[in-house]
Amino acid sequence: MKEAVTIRNLNHHYPDGTVSLEDVSLTINEGERLAIIGQNGAGKTTLFLHLNGSIKSTEDNVLIFGENVRYMPIEKRIEKVGVVFADPDDQLFMPTIYDDVAFGPTNMGLPHDEVERRVRNALETVGLIGFEDRVPHHMSYGEKKRAALAAVLSMEPRILILDEPTANLDPKNRSILISLINRLNKEKGITTIVAMHDVNAVSHLADRVVVLNTTIVADGDAHTIFSDGELLKANNLEAPEIYKLFRILDCYGYTCCHQHPLSAIDAPPAFDASLDANGGSIHLRKNNSTADEVQKVMDTFEY
Amino acid sequence: MHYPDIDRYATLNSPIHNLEPRVKILSFTILIFSVVFVLNIQAALLGLTMAAIILIISRLPISFMIRRSKVILIFILPILLLMPLTVSGTSLWSAGPITFSEEGLSLALLITIRALAAITLVLTLLGTQKIETTLKALSLLKVPGVIIQMLFFTYRYIYVIMDEFLQIWSSMRSKGYAFRLNRYGLSIIGNLIGMLLVKSYERAERVYRGMEAKGYRGNHISSAPFTIQATDYGAGLLLIAIAGALQVYPLVII
Repeated sequence: MKEAVTIRNLNHHYPDGTVSLEDVSLTINEGERLAIIGQNGAGKTTLFLHLNGSIKSTEDNVLIFGENVRYMPIEKRIEKVGVVFADPDDQLFMPTIYDDVAFGPTNMGLPHDEVERRVRNALETVGLIGFEDRVPHHMSYGEKKRAALAAVLSMEPRILILDEPTANLDPKNRSILISLINRLNKEKGITTIVAMHDVNAVSHLADRVVVLNTTIVADGDAHTIFSDGELLKANNLEAPEIYKLFRILDCYGYTCCHQHPLSAIDAPPAFDASLDANGGSIHLRKNNSTADEVQKVMDTFEY
Repeated sequence: MHYPDIDRYATLNSPIHNLEPRVKILSFTILIFSVVFVLNIQAALLGLTMAAIILIISRLPISFMIRRSKVILIFILPILLLMPLTVSGTSLWSAGPITFSEEGLSLALLITIRALAAITLVLTLLGTQKIETTLKALSLLKVPGVIIQMLFFTYRYIYVIMDEFLQIWSSMRSKGYAFRLNRYGLSIIGNLIGMLLVKSYERAERVYRGMEAKGYRGNHISSAPFTIQATDYGAGLLLIAIAGALQVYPLVII
């Protein structure tokens, strides 16, 4: 499989000496769905800024599709890597949505017809057709978030990086955005990298989870990461609520399928598997050790 | 939140609204300059009448004009009061050392009428098209890109800064702050302004990163599919003719 992102021993510190990244090595394959989780100040945004060349490493250790991002011309960089920042007001800087979505393709030197096509496609993808002449300050936060995504999609990047995509969104807009990101990965084969604190959404958006705390602390599938309570606590993180509930059910004698669900959508198949394995019924019971076991789960996963 | 948009009525339909943006800016600018350079009250009144007719044609609500112009009028009214008292000439009325001169009154009236006409024209110009349209038209009229970008960002982020101001203000109010014109009250306002400056600086850095991520290289990028029709040329020439007439009129009368 082709390597979309290759980072080798990346280090970065701010002028005041604060170390933001330390010996980070990471390989992301083309078409992968990756989530980077970590506490505030863990270096997620700094890592992203290295990937799109906003911050240039002094060494040749950040490669995008095998090419050193340091020497890539800007129009090529934005064609490969698109970054959607956490606050859409930082990214929507033009007076109208059309101008913002057309900004990237125009910078790429594309002809007017192609810019028009890309703007239309991007707005259609995020469901904002008809918003071309709207001004950002007259739009809801969810709409602005989608417009910021459209402004990046119009550059048709092969790698899409989203910093806190679900932060401050209402449940409906959160769900719309999650579906949209997954559709882009599935239908267009775009490699998606998300940074988030919303652990309940991680399993919806990623097959692989990386825990970052200045350096890479853990790298694995979502189940491996979220079942390691010690790892989560050491990095000020937590497991999804559904996962914790199923771990508590275990204490009451429930025998789950081979993997505890990480989201509500995974819960019915988990119950079905349990029912099939247990002759069509599930029994919960409380014995002398139940309270201790529940306490142990609480100690492991709750603060 | 309710924003005080100057282009709230830009979507109305009127001959002034429909005028091609570049033609509108050029012809209005010439007319405004002509109005502010007239040298007698009659010509100034004629200019004000023309401005009022253009305003009526534009169908902009009078309430909008009054609301928008009253801030500027605060600066003009003192001129109307002070000029007759400070310019020497034929006395119309006097009380002790204070003399109310005819020449001063004429000059004050001239300045006030010219200012009223100019304000009416500027607000009609800005009120009948979207701000972004005005800026794009200015860009096509070869106004330097740096100035256009600054105006674009000012327009885009003034609302964001307003939101941030209101957030800080609400937070202050929720902690019992009430503005008082004393040292403490002013120092708190100073802190608020300082906080806004810091926030704006930090946002500017983030916006620059956002621009870089979309390939910004310092050039102004914007598209504006404007086309000038024959009617636009006609209307533009008419406005420029009015501007010329305002300058010629005093010469003919004399």
